[in-house]
Amino acid sequence: MIIKNGTVYDPLNGIKGERMDLFIEGGRMVEEAKGEVIDASGLIVFPGGVDLHSHIAGSKVNLGRLMRPEDHRRDPVPRTEVTRSGTGYTVPTTYVTGYRYAVLGYTTVMEAAMPPLTARHVHEELDDIPMVDKGAFTMMGNNHFVMKYLKEGNWEKLRNFVAWLLKATKGYAIKLVNPGGVENWKWGKNVEGLDDQVENYGVTPREIIRGLARVNEELGLPHPIHVHCNKLGTPGKFGIVVDTVETVVAERGRIHITHIQFNSYGGEDWATLSSAAPEVAKAINRSEGATCDLGQVIFGEATTMTGDGPWQHQLFRLTGNKWYNSDVEMEVGAGIVPYTFKPKSLVNAVQWTIGLEVALLVEDPWKVVLTTDHPNAGPFYRYPKVIEWLMSRKAREKTLSEVHRAASSRSTLPSLDREYSLYEIAVITRAAPARLLGLRRKGHLGVGADADVALYEFREDDIEGSFSRAKYVIKDGEIVVKDGRVVKEHWGKTFWVSPPGELPEDAREEFERYYTVSLENYPVEPEYLPRSEVIPCG
Amino acid sequence: MEVLLNTGRTVDQGVSMERGKTSQEYFEKVAVAFLHPEDAKELGVGEGQAVRLTTEFGSVVLRCSLGNTERGSVFVPMGPWANALTSALTEGTGMPSLKGLRAKIEAVPGGKPTTLEELLRSWRGRSGSA
Amino acid sequence: MVLRRGVVCPFCGCLCDDLEVEVEDGRIVSTKNACPVSRSKFLSHAEDRARPMVGGREVSVEEAIEEAARILREADFPLIYGLSSTESDAQRMAVRLAELTGASLDNTSSTCHGPTVLAAQECGAVKCTLGEVKNRADLIVFWGCNPAEAHIRHPIRYSITPAGMYRQGKKERFVVHVDVRETRTSKMVNQFVKVQMGRDYELLSALRAAVRGYEVKEAAGVPGEVIKGLAERMKGCRFGIIFFGMGLTMSRGKNLNIDAALRLVRDLNEHTKFLIMPMRGHFNVSGANEVLTWLTGYPFALNFSRGYPVYNPGEFSAVDLLSREECDAALILASDPAAHFPAAAVRHLASIPTVVIDPKVSLTSKLARVVIPSAIAGIECEGTAYRMDGVPLRLKRIVDSPYLPDREILERIIERVGG
Repeated sequence: MIIKNGTVYDPLNGIKGERMDLFIEGGRMVEEAKGEVIDASGLIVFPGGVDLHSHIAGSKVNLGRLMRPEDHRRDPVPRTEVTRSGTGYTVPTTYVTGYRYAVLGYTTVMEAAMPPLTARHVHEELDDIPMVDKGAFTMMGNNHFVMKYLKEGNWEKLRNFVAWLLKATKGYAIKLVNPGGVENWKWGKNVEGLDDQVENYGVTPREIIRGLARVNEELGLPHPIHVHCNKLGTPGKFGIVVDTVETVVAERGRIHITHIQFNSYGGEDWATLSSAAPEVAKAINRSEGATCDLGQVIFGEATTMTGDGPWQHQLFRLTGNKWYNSDVEMEVGAGIVPYTFKPKSLVNAVQWTIGLEVALLVEDPWKVVLTTDHPNAGPFYRYPKVIEWLMSRKAREKTLSEVHRAASSRSTLPSLDREYSLYEIAVITRAAPARLLGLRRKGHLGVGADADVALYEFREDDIEGSFSRAKYVIKDGEIVVKDGRVVKEHWGKTFWVSPPGELPEDAREEFERYYTVSLENYPVEPEYLPRSEVIPCG
Repeated sequence: MEVLLNTGRTVDQGVSMERGKTSQEYFEKVAVAFLHPEDAKELGVGEGQAVRLTTEFGSVVLRCSLGNTERGSVFVPMGPWANALTSALTEGTGMPSLKGLRAKIEAVPGGKPTTLEELLRSWRGRSGSA
Repeated sequence: MVLRRGVVCPFCGCLCDDLEVEVEDGRIVSTKNACPVSRSKFLSHAEDRARPMVGGREVSVEEAIEEAARILREADFPLIYGLSSTESDAQRMAVRLAELTGASLDNTSSTCHGPTVLAAQECGAVKCTLGEVKNRADLIVFWGCNPAEAHIRHPIRYSITPAGMYRQGKKERFVVHVDVRETRTSKMVNQFVKVQMGRDYELLSALRAAVRGYEVKEAAGVPGEVIKGLAERMKGCRFGIIFFGMGLTMSRGKNLNIDAALRLVRDLNEHTKFLIMPMRGHFNVSGANEVLTWLTGYPFALNFSRGYPVYNPGEFSAVDLLSREECDAALILASDPAAHFPAAAVRHLASIPTVVIDPKVSLTSKLARVVIPSAIAGIECEGTAYRMDGVPLRLKRIVDSPYLPDREILERIIERVGG
């Protein structure tokens, strides 16, 4: 296949909008090939999009679907000759998830929160998501054995356990969600800061973060620890992000702060909420090894779902909306609360500014990834709107004029001139997340890369529209989307890691005693990943 | 006698169901009405004797067994006999009304419980009771 | 002789995974750790097997599948029902078949915990996995359920007696049973509370009022003092849970009973840690809800005749479709509505062309036009099942079987209806 005459943006190969031809053979980018010619004149050519933080599969996501029939009813998706039916809006069904990512030009998506005990469920759903390559991050920040070995200071056992757990769950990265706080939530409590105690364990969130960051690098995992910080969603607590970042980079570790918007709140309470994006962005700027994704707010319907049980309870108390809580023995928790971001709400307007401010204030685009923490701050299919806000000051001003005035007075957003270029958009939606994930064949179009390519008809006056429906999407060398419609169903792979390390002997007995499943029935069997690839460590 | 009808699972029902729903054991464990001994006395029936239960929705003859319930109520293990009596009305929920139905119970001296064949015939024949 | 350990039991929603099963010459000869029902399921698995039939005549499996496909192809408004006693791949196939035939699709949850789903869709639910209960719970309330007979090992493995991380057996837990009658479960608990039949909603509401500090009097036959005492106990525990069953979902009030229970638990989280869990019956009825939800957005009672899933319990639920005599054909998978539906619904099932896929002779198979025998998931073929708390486990194949797994039968029907 030849993609002829497109304007190519390929940041990992230093290509900034050059007119050139691309060649595809055997599902990869090659030097030279024959076959079908796609006329890309007048189109921009990006590598396939890479989403490193989204909630698309597993028990919590499915509870979000289950509890909201009203959410699905307004967005039915009929079947076609090529595609299956389903429903959309904030938490779409699995097939619809795959189709809608593909139409945006995204070809790789990571499920950001996999509870180990229900990992099979995550993989069953991933197996029903077509079009994209995928993976899932294993939650560890409140794991019994992690905290136990940290308390004992037994690094070898900790390392072995983490390696084993990644393999047992077929996970891709270490995820921390409110480390320590979720264990306390199992007694109806939380932690208030990095040095609070986790009940019965005698460790602190700081120790958990530092410990898992260290193990992460010792195992040579492709992705840094992926952290949902403590006290998310709390006015005045932005300092926890700064402190968390510094804790890790002080020991030359790597850390990815996820949906940073939700943790970048100044003020003292909801009434005085203000943006602390400048302080947080500064911490990211000065810390080598620290990166973030946005969790950008989109006005409208959302379904908040996190592994952060106490936060979700808090949100239920704030809103009175329906509330699911789901605690998982020995490991994790989760909560789900539907939420509407309203432009005229003071809090929501300020929240909206924060994600954009971070994106505009972090100087190096390689440290930023575009996300909405789907479906927490809005569904992923609204990413094009975020791109528009980032690329156009005019678009931001228009929205600023429509939302609560606090957005202008409690944030630096109105004063920010920066406008992202197409090249920078390619960085924060493709190249940076692929590099951060350590997926070497993703996020670029150089020889040897997977032939995942997105072609858009770019119009300056309709940025959102331009990115909402790709003109062509090529996945593994095949045209899967044409003129914004799925024309072929395609099945991607699941990526996971397999670092060396076995379950410590003393964990076996405790496992049998405290879990309600047998150890032998715990690890996810290979049958659940019919198409998979192990990404090497080290 | 007017009673409230309750239906539900029992161990015997579960065990015999796994043996097979056409088995004699299933018939013996499921075609049963549990009565409070005082109610049985009032009705003049003893363990193993036949009683007829009738609701707005149907009627069956069951073997009486003492115990396992409160006064004024009758318990019938879940199964086709119980469901000859229950209501298909779901009130918009999808869930039929299987517990707490008003029923009439009477002794059937010398009677025999409705057989599975009779139930099947009644379903096929689209008639109201067995 | 082969001894299989760590076998997952395919009977109830407890999904006990510590069974040992002995196999000799391809036959199951004994089980260890199994409850009586489970033992019966394993030891009797080869008995009373269904034969492939069309119109009362024994035929080849191929012929039965052909006829099943014809019935579905020609039907205007077919119903696909059951799904709960099979594994999740078969459930996925059932959704595909329903989509292709524009069928209504329902699973047995419409007649067990459908009302629970409806209530959770109103207000959510505070749930956890069973290990949380074993490790932490100091107050356990069984409401309208009878684990001693329906979930036999639940009290030993998960709730009353197990030694967990912070609770050592029964003496460190207080156990309450609320029900309309004393059962074997009542004998295992510290306190039995008798509620009048059909009046659970009142008692739940009174409890909720008491938790909120209001003065309460007698409700549903329970003295005010007892209600107050229970409310105080609930507020004062460190970790409490309500397990509930059909006593709430099937009795007067149905989903409203559950709504009251869910909101009571939500309120209790202002005071302490409190959770709630439905006692799911069929071993994979949870899975049926999960699979339907991830594929369609809805857990049961849906219809595909518009080309996309439409959800409406009370309209597309099996009992309603049948008793209103709306569906003109049915495919029943891994369940036996003739044994468990009200007669009014069964009579319609007997009058339309019905296809049954079941390992065993079922009462529905006695009424069906087509019977297709299948392998028993968890004994004769592998697959995934979801425990009552949502924990997925891998079912094992213990013995070989001449029968096709449900998923393969469905696949072949799908090929023939034009998938």
